[in-house]
Amino acid sequence: MRAKLAWMLTPLLVLCISFSYGQEKTISGNVTDQSGLPLPGVSIVVVGTTQGTQTDFDGNYVITASEGQVLRFSYIGQKTVERTVGASTAINVQMEEDAQALEEVVVTGYGSRSRELSTSAISTVSTEKIEAFVPSTSVDNILQGQAAGVQVTAANGRPGQTAFVTIRGVGSINASTTPLYVVDGTPVNSDFINNLNPNDIESFSILKDAATVSKYGSRGANGVVLITTKQGKSGDARITFRSSYGFGERIPDPFDLMNASQKLEIERQYAELGVSAAASMPGATADAAERARLISLDTNWEEELLRKSQIQSNSLSIAGGDEKMTYYLSLGYDKNTGIIDRIDGFERITARINTTYQAKDWLNIGTSLSLSRSTTDLPRDRNNVQNPFRAMYDYNPWEPLYSRNPDGSIVLDDQGNPVFNPTRSGFPIARALTTEPEDNRNFLIVGSLFADIKLSDKFSNRFSVGATNNRFNRTTRSLAGGVLNSIVGDANFPGTQTDNFSNTLQYNVNNLFSYSDTFGDYHNFSASFLLEYNENIYTDLFASSRGFPSPGIPYQDVAAEATDAGSEEERRILFSQGLFVDYDYDSKYILSASVRRDGSSRFGPDNKYGYFYSGSAAWNLSKEAFLEDTFVNDLKLRASYGTSGNQNIGDFNYLNLLQFATYNGNTTAIPIGVGNPNIQWESQAILDIGVEFGLFNNRVNGVVDYFKKNSKDLLLNQPLSQTIGDEDNSILANIGEVENSGIEVSLNADVIRAEDFVWRVGGNVSFLDNKVVSLVNGDDIISGDFGYNILREGEEINSYYTVRYAGVNPANGEPLYYDLDGNVTNEYSASFNTILEGKSPYANIEGGFFTSVRWGGFGLRADFVGKSGNYILNFQRQEGVSIANIDSNLRTEVFNYWKQPGDTNVLPSPLYQGTADQDSDRWLEKGDYIRLRTLTLDYNLPGKFLDKTGIDRVRLFATGQNLFTITEYNGDPEIGIGSAESSAAGTQGFIPGAFSLFSYPQTRSYTFGVEIGF
Amino acid sequence: MKNKFYTYCLTSLFATSLLVSCDDELNGLQPFTEGNPETFFNSVSSFQNGVDGIYSQFWNYYSSTGSGLQGIPDILADNVILAQTGRRSNEIYYDYRYNPNTGGAIPLYWSEAYEAVNAANLVIGQIDNLSDGPAKDNILGQALAARAIAHFDLARIYAKIPTQSADADNSLGIIYIKVEDGDTGDPFAQPARETVASNYAEIIGDLEQAAQLIGTSNGEGRLNRDAVYAMLSRVYLYNGDYQLAINAADQVTADIVDANVEGALLDLYEDTSNQGVIIEWSVNTTSESGFNNVGVLYSQTTAPNTVSEYVVDYEFFNSLDPNDLRREVIQYDATNQGNNYNAVRKFLGEPGQVNGRVDIKVLRAAEVLLNKAEAQFELNQPANALATLDILRDARYSSYTGGESGQALEDAIQWERRVELCFEGHRFFDIKRRGEAVQRSNNGDIQDGSGTPPEFLTLPAGDFRFQLPIPIDEINANPNMEQNPDY
Repeated sequence: MRAKLAWMLTPLLVLCISFSYGQEKTISGNVTDQSGLPLPGVSIVVVGTTQGTQTDFDGNYVITASEGQVLRFSYIGQKTVERTVGASTAINVQMEEDAQALEEVVVTGYGSRSRELSTSAISTVSTEKIEAFVPSTSVDNILQGQAAGVQVTAANGRPGQTAFVTIRGVGSINASTTPLYVVDGTPVNSDFINNLNPNDIESFSILKDAATVSKYGSRGANGVVLITTKQGKSGDARITFRSSYGFGERIPDPFDLMNASQKLEIERQYAELGVSAAASMPGATADAAERARLISLDTNWEEELLRKSQIQSNSLSIAGGDEKMTYYLSLGYDKNTGIIDRIDGFERITARINTTYQAKDWLNIGTSLSLSRSTTDLPRDRNNVQNPFRAMYDYNPWEPLYSRNPDGSIVLDDQGNPVFNPTRSGFPIARALTTEPEDNRNFLIVGSLFADIKLSDKFSNRFSVGATNNRFNRTTRSLAGGVLNSIVGDANFPGTQTDNFSNTLQYNVNNLFSYSDTFGDYHNFSASFLLEYNENIYTDLFASSRGFPSPGIPYQDVAAEATDAGSEEERRILFSQGLFVDYDYDSKYILSASVRRDGSSRFGPDNKYGYFYSGSAAWNLSKEAFLEDTFVNDLKLRASYGTSGNQNIGDFNYLNLLQFATYNGNTTAIPIGVGNPNIQWESQAILDIGVEFGLFNNRVNGVVDYFKKNSKDLLLNQPLSQTIGDEDNSILANIGEVENSGIEVSLNADVIRAEDFVWRVGGNVSFLDNKVVSLVNGDDIISGDFGYNILREGEEINSYYTVRYAGVNPANGEPLYYDLDGNVTNEYSASFNTILEGKSPYANIEGGFFTSVRWGGFGLRADFVGKSGNYILNFQRQEGVSIANIDSNLRTEVFNYWKQPGDTNVLPSPLYQGTADQDSDRWLEKGDYIRLRTLTLDYNLPGKFLDKTGIDRVRLFATGQNLFTITEYNGDPEIGIGSAESSAAGTQGFIPGAFSLFSYPQTRSYTFGVEIGF
Repeated sequence: MKNKFYTYCLTSLFATSLLVSCDDELNGLQPFTEGNPETFFNSVSSFQNGVDGIYSQFWNYYSSTGSGLQGIPDILADNVILAQTGRRSNEIYYDYRYNPNTGGAIPLYWSEAYEAVNAANLVIGQIDNLSDGPAKDNILGQALAARAIAHFDLARIYAKIPTQSADADNSLGIIYIKVEDGDTGDPFAQPARETVASNYAEIIGDLEQAAQLIGTSNGEGRLNRDAVYAMLSRVYLYNGDYQLAINAADQVTADIVDANVEGALLDLYEDTSNQGVIIEWSVNTTSESGFNNVGVLYSQTTAPNTVSEYVVDYEFFNSLDPNDLRREVIQYDATNQGNNYNAVRKFLGEPGQVNGRVDIKVLRAAEVLLNKAEAQFELNQPANALATLDILRDARYSSYTGGESGQALEDAIQWERRVELCFEGHRFFDIKRRGEAVQRSNNGDIQDGSGTPPEFLTLPAGDFRFQLPIPIDEINANPNMEQNPDY
């Protein structure tokens, strides 16, 4: 206990105590690299003390030491230098590149390895790429375009929203395809990673092939994202303060909406043609005076409902350490108001402490703890005007925000406040945003501790315990007198409120016992045995009440009566053993293998356990004599094969279950579904062949990988005849197989590497191909939220399945379609639905590239992301041009309808509303785009300005996010969630990016900030 | 070194003790909030939970705010007209543009009614867990009657009605699922459609058996003896068994509400009285305040506006007799966007409410009288028919002429049926079973008859769209399922 206390107090002591020692004097000097360029950030410690410092931007340092003491200079990638303090007060050091140390260490899961000895395809993303993003961006969004083989689709533009991440394609159809996230050894539910502070992250390590993912067994099939947070380094405390401020806005549409006079005109034209729905519209009925009045009310609803968001971020970190311990502390505050007017947006406060301590020469212990609280309000994300992003397109421009009296003045209520216009839709969203608030709070704790025990030179043991706990609170209210309360509320009990509380606790205990040895001079062997226990406990509670005395008291204590309440619990357990073996011959020939056994509570008694294995090999050709002293610095061939599993399905699918609810206040017991006792893991096999190279003094380096990933025993909902009476009319069974294959290339080059000028370019691209290999009885499965996708053997996963549109008949303006035989017909029937081969929501090419220039203190970096080959059903466009929507605002392209025989390239005549508005591939558009994701300009103040200020580093920066996009899509092509309430992520049928339907749009932003280090 | 070894032993011990019981944890995990359908049903009260579960499935598809069976059959007919200023919900149904892929009512009824059947069969299949006696009989009676009603709804929606046309009996019916016949248990079964005649035989069989078993009073929202006989009178009428319809009607003891009593009729629709209601699917508006508000099918109120989806047809409303006491529950004056409408009154809410959350009125005593009068007319007993009709009219008019005969009597019976049961989910089926056409008036939606008339005025007798299509998901999942003709 005393030791623990000391260990906790040490960071404080380090900051407070300064040691005194013999004849102390001030020593200064300059540190340069091999080529004589100044090296900033070199850590200098007086050996045997806690004293230390770092070089400034110009490579200079100042430190106090006594004669006879030793200064140790260390820097990543350089050989550590030690100098004994002599009579001189100046010690200049030229450091030498350390070939060994340059070999990057990669975090590989249950440990780390030098990249040289790794046999696995692993992508890493480091800090500098993270910094450019708006800090409220969820960390998974940051991965987009940064790592080969990682496909990231932003879910939508809501601040704090997580993204859809898949690694090497879609490896499952029904089970989740989200990778496993592991933060400093602790698995963290992907829903919570938006509560990590991006500034705390040192690196992402993305495990893609069997050599490493098989070690994660039943959770590895979707790949693994290892997040390593920052640790202190020995040396003086480094304090970094970072602050930025900016604003964001909706990315403008590539089309125009009608203004009031245009809208009235189209109503007039439609009514004149005899479109019955237009007959009662003001464009048809208004006289000249009324028309003029309506035109004078011309309203841009986007301006009324949206705003520029404010984005604010502050963070502070203190890091340092001495020979025995390191510490890293940080605080962060982020706020992003979002672009919806009248609500608050997203706010997050984070705190972290990471420490390690060499408690004994054989015992190293450490802990990391992060706390994070975020709040966000959740506007309705649905396909009607309760969603402001639909309302801004729907509300007619001749309807103003506030209702008008006959004399043109704004209608006021009893309190003298302006009355929001219910509009023709009957729903005033601007008012509803304030009367139907929904407020979410998350409090996330991620903590872990480990003890590394060195038993002998050959045996060691690591024991670690990690836990994440997220507490979620939500308050949903319908205020008395509000929009919804008057529609569905109870007049005797005005105002309703529901409070949800849920707690998700996941804890993970593991023990890794390792042995390593060298036989002869060259045979290096190591083996590790893993025991791991993982349990997830979810509990929730909710209560609802009605009858509130005042909207100002959002607590159910004051409500007239409680109306509903509930609680539930869910658990799942995973218990595993694993054996990992590595061998290399003089770092030239490397072999690795792993086997893991997992037991899961999600499967029935006969299928609880599964085995997952892998084998891999690598050959470092650059170590061979024939490549020595050539332009090839590094060349490695590697191959791996192995299996992993996916268990991301609901609990107890193997049982028949009864569900309890109420009817007329009495308990009901109804069967909810047919269980399948035979279900087991989805299993997956990945073959990977790769080459890694570094050329011309490592100025050019790259990685190329080919992979083939077969996912079998996929848990599919086999449709059942509904006459069975099953709740969801299907049964879960291991029946499917899909295959993903592809080539990934990443390449980086230092085009110019001069003293004052560095130009670097790099990028990565993945070429992906997928197909359905087998389904139940070979039968197609209609998929997607609206049934417009299909799984068919031999075709791309979730290929589109809809009626083919054949254009407008130039003779009469009638829309034409293809029937199943390929004949053009003027009829529309859903029975014409057909597969559109090769068109699916998944891209075949996806990637990103960057260019960065550093000139003196200036830096400019641009990151582009893009994809190609995917298609999106643009329902938003359908809504914007449908004839039946004449009662709502429309896009200006609507004027381009068929008017006379011979018209081509037109919309159908409004007279054919019945067939024209129908769903078909008329709305299916290519989703290709290239987007300038971030553009950052920064400037580091030269060291001479900072001398004597005590400040080491001042960096000013300006970043733009999503500044421009090249696309042919009629809207914003970055679509994940089409409409959250009709197709939430994780629900059956959900396919990210399959259609657009008024979800929170992407934003572009501009932020300005400063970073100060001292 | 000794110290080190000691520490390692301690660590190992700690790790092992944590992990040793893991397998037990893993294997012992059971569901937290769900029950086991094989062991749960072991007492009268747990069986009643199961029966209430069947009723809840009825509630689901009758009360659905988007597609409730309480209102769709009126939207599919001539009692209401689409209000242009509404949300245009169910427009595809109103305009008869539905197909097997259409969402809403078509997939909802098919799926939910069969879930009710499944829930009923679960109860019926395990009924012998109870010891013999009236309690067991009452459970079995409720479950059998509920199973019959679910199948009856399926049959009248997706298949022809026996009296609809001469070919109806041998045309495609639905699939009747009975646990006693071994129809359940195989989740992969792909049954084929039976005939309408066999469906009605089994519906009647279940109801007749239920009538012998069920109790006389089970409380609000549940079936009882009156409910079974009342339903039998309707099913016999649909099946053309007119004498049996009369006999069943005579078994019903419930009285109709007398509209001459001030406020009595309104009390019925505001749920302060259950007089004259024989079958209803109920909602406890206190504890189930988040449940469906069926009135949304017709309108939502955002004071001072009423956003109506469907309003009372101009011609229908103006044909009402000035002395008809039902006017107060049929219509109220509503405005939206400056237009006046005849809004539907029946489902506005409990007293003082405009939230549309009320019990579903499935079968009322008034219908039993109308079933009986129609059956008597069909059996050429005009005097009896007139007498039966007048029982109802006495309770519905402050004064009326009456005394009709021949065609005028038939018209009077049908007019009374249309008015009495309007907006309660009958009209489409009554037109359909009588083999008539839907003939809408060519008036607009506004109160004075101006505005926009229906796009689709006539659905001819015999049109294929009288039988809704089998939903596409069923066709895809079950290759033996034959689609209705012409879809």
